[in-house]
Amino acid sequence: MLDSKTVKKLHKRLVSIVGTDYVHQQETDRVLNAHDAWPLSEAKLRSGEILPLADLIVYPATREEVSAILVAANEMEIPITPVGGGAGTCGGTLPIYGGIQLDLKRMSKIYEIDNQSMTIRAQAGVVGIDLEETANRHGYTLGHTPTSLRASNLGGFIATRSGGSMSSLYGKIEDLTLGLEVVLPDGSIIECKSVPRHSVGPDLRQLFIGSEGTLGVITEATLRLFPLPEERRFRSFSFPDIHSGLEAIRNIFRIGINPSIVRLYDPEDAAMSFSMHFEFEEGHCMLLLGFDGDIAHVNLDEDKSVDICNNHGGTDLGEGPSKRWWEHRYDMYYPTRLTTSGYAIGDTIDIVATYDKLENVYHSMKKVMEATGAIVMSHFSHMYQNGGSIYMIFFTSQPDAETAWAIYKKIWDDGVAACLKEGGTMSHQHGVGLSRSTYVDDELGSAFQVLKKIKESLDPKGIMNPGKLGLGVRK
Amino acid sequence: MTFDETLAEQIRMCAACPKMCRHVCPTFFAWRSDSPTPHGRALLIHQSIIGTREIDERGIEVLFQCLECSHCLTWCKPEIDIATIVEEQRRVLVAEERRPKGLDEMALAIKQYHNPYSEPHASRNNWLSIKKKKEGKSLFYFTGCTAAYREQEIASSTVELLESLGYRISIGNGSSDEWCCGSPLFRTGDIELGLEQARHNTQMLNELDVEAIVVTCPGCFRVLSKDYPEHGLVLNKPVRHISELLDEIKDHLPAADFEGKITYHDPCHLGRHSNIYDAPRNVIKQVSHSNLTEMERTRDNAMCCGNGAGLRTLFPEHAKKIGMERVQQAKQSGASILVTSCPFCKNMLQSQSGNDLTVLDLPELVLQAKRSRKVKTH
Repeated sequence: MLDSKTVKKLHKRLVSIVGTDYVHQQETDRVLNAHDAWPLSEAKLRSGEILPLADLIVYPATREEVSAILVAANEMEIPITPVGGGAGTCGGTLPIYGGIQLDLKRMSKIYEIDNQSMTIRAQAGVVGIDLEETANRHGYTLGHTPTSLRASNLGGFIATRSGGSMSSLYGKIEDLTLGLEVVLPDGSIIECKSVPRHSVGPDLRQLFIGSEGTLGVITEATLRLFPLPEERRFRSFSFPDIHSGLEAIRNIFRIGINPSIVRLYDPEDAAMSFSMHFEFEEGHCMLLLGFDGDIAHVNLDEDKSVDICNNHGGTDLGEGPSKRWWEHRYDMYYPTRLTTSGYAIGDTIDIVATYDKLENVYHSMKKVMEATGAIVMSHFSHMYQNGGSIYMIFFTSQPDAETAWAIYKKIWDDGVAACLKEGGTMSHQHGVGLSRSTYVDDELGSAFQVLKKIKESLDPKGIMNPGKLGLGVRK
Repeated sequence: MTFDETLAEQIRMCAACPKMCRHVCPTFFAWRSDSPTPHGRALLIHQSIIGTREIDERGIEVLFQCLECSHCLTWCKPEIDIATIVEEQRRVLVAEERRPKGLDEMALAIKQYHNPYSEPHASRNNWLSIKKKKEGKSLFYFTGCTAAYREQEIASSTVELLESLGYRISIGNGSSDEWCCGSPLFRTGDIELGLEQARHNTQMLNELDVEAIVVTCPGCFRVLSKDYPEHGLVLNKPVRHISELLDEIKDHLPAADFEGKITYHDPCHLGRHSNIYDAPRNVIKQVSHSNLTEMERTRDNAMCCGNGAGLRTLFPEHAKKIGMERVQQAKQSGASILVTSCPFCKNMLQSQSGNDLTVLDLPELVLQAKRSRKVKTH
């Protein structure tokens, strides 16, 4: 936290940039705006803890204002934490060293849809669902549908390298982002031009996609658009085990089919998610498939996928479970009495690995996570030609806060260690933030020094979102 | 304790939700901050309940920024009614004499003049001309403050329309003295003064020899039909919103050709609070040869107009910003006429409509059709 004299000086400086209405200093605003969607933050809020607070919150409306704010923060060497929708699940927007929260929600302009190039350009603070609905009105979809779509925004998508539930077909945000505007810590504004491909050195867009506000502030982006599919069809299969289900998935991709939805639920998650609504053999896994496109294409993809599933021991359950999941895909994100009572806490470790490692990662993580006494259920989703992600979901309930937070940490520590040991990567789409920050060294190994050097070069005073992504950790 | 264990549990859930309804919250739209949001308000109350933080002056402001439009409830799977919870908390703050000063003035005006606009009570309805009819179903038209003082076209159109349809209309005047229904007070937590109005109105209305009470204001409709009975004040005759009444006799309503498409804005107190969605639409379709087009956000997903629960009193610019957005949504539908069924909504929407959208209240639309006049849009 800053001393009162510095806060006063900073306040004056920020007011001169954005005006009085857009600099918030009152404790109530700082408390309410600290609220992100990290399950640990939510559990702490419920239990009566106050999350780390910024000294000031500033709401710029333009890239120039963002630039002036960064110049001020840089000169005064004040930590600055960019905030998008505040919907991150890893604590990435918590201002753990105080300073400034730079909130982008006022930067919500959607500039244009380019029908010829099929792109949309918007400011970083536009909420995901507003962007998607705008695209829909013009006959397009972003193809980016994370569960947080109503709360997360464009800048947050990009800053956390996020993925939607249909990334198997449409890609993750790193595949969808064509152009990018970023304000660097020294206030300079850079643009990565909107082009489908290029060969002008390394792709600088990718340096900032996933940078979580540690290298600069994303202020604008151009995304790809897709025509709304003529047909979206659903199909579901049960499989006797994870292995046969994964083999079916792998072979679907192998022949060049890209379903929009591919989700394989392990027996525990299948029982939890579907046994109340559908009949299937106890102990079986559940595979959900979705196909987007024109009818002829969908027919072909579906028929071939059904053959593969049948050949790998699947039992055809029709469209029911898959369609139901689609229609209720946001339900699991709401709080329930069970998950919010006492010192209950649940979270998801979303990891990614190639097919050769995926099953081992799953079994190893499940084993160590369950050893803590947690309930663990998982699904494989966001699948690709070469591998995919696993959502290792856990839930624990403890008698007191101290025990609950300690167990929570142990589940994470042990789960990530098992993932890394088996050759997996510790995050597929949620980013790193605070919850995974201490594992970055192990994850990146010797490559981490590259990221550190880039950070030192762009942000020598270490003002940008310190403590996140394993960068800028202070004592 | 204001909140029992069940409510405290709901507040706790809302306080730590990953913001599943924020995108439709009109005050989030207006401020673009996490403070004036459903989960922000729930967190304030949660922290107060469990003793983490007291609600300070800024917290009070945030709680009184809520429009109580209940749009968040449409998007809440656990069905946490945060608007009602906020209203409960407002009652506590009013009892502690901690409500915002701007609302003190509004309450004082209602106490002194029986309307929130500080207009002379004597002029409430004395400008309305009523035919002295001896026949027809007798209705008492409870005009409400906004139609009486600010949107008089609605009141005069309602009287003219209903009389032309054969009803025998009476209004609050002289011995049958209509006061503010109390809605602005109930919604902002001033139960005591609200009940003072309610007791007077109940006695007055129960002494009337009429078959039903008709209202054009959904705020009045809600308090007369829900809040009064909840406080033991039972009216001895039915209360009908004008849209329901007209829907019942829609076969007798005239039809006309309207220039351009018509869209309909659902008032929060009529739609989400009273579950009346079809009646006004049926009427519009009847009188316009089904020339109704819907906005994207409609029925229980309709955006608030921004004029509710004291927001325009306390934060006029932000309220207007919300109204402007709703007007844009109406224009986006391709309509050139925006119909609502609430004087308060009409007041806000018309103030933001510009030159390419005509805003009418339901009885005005029907009367236009009856006069067989083409409604010219700007």
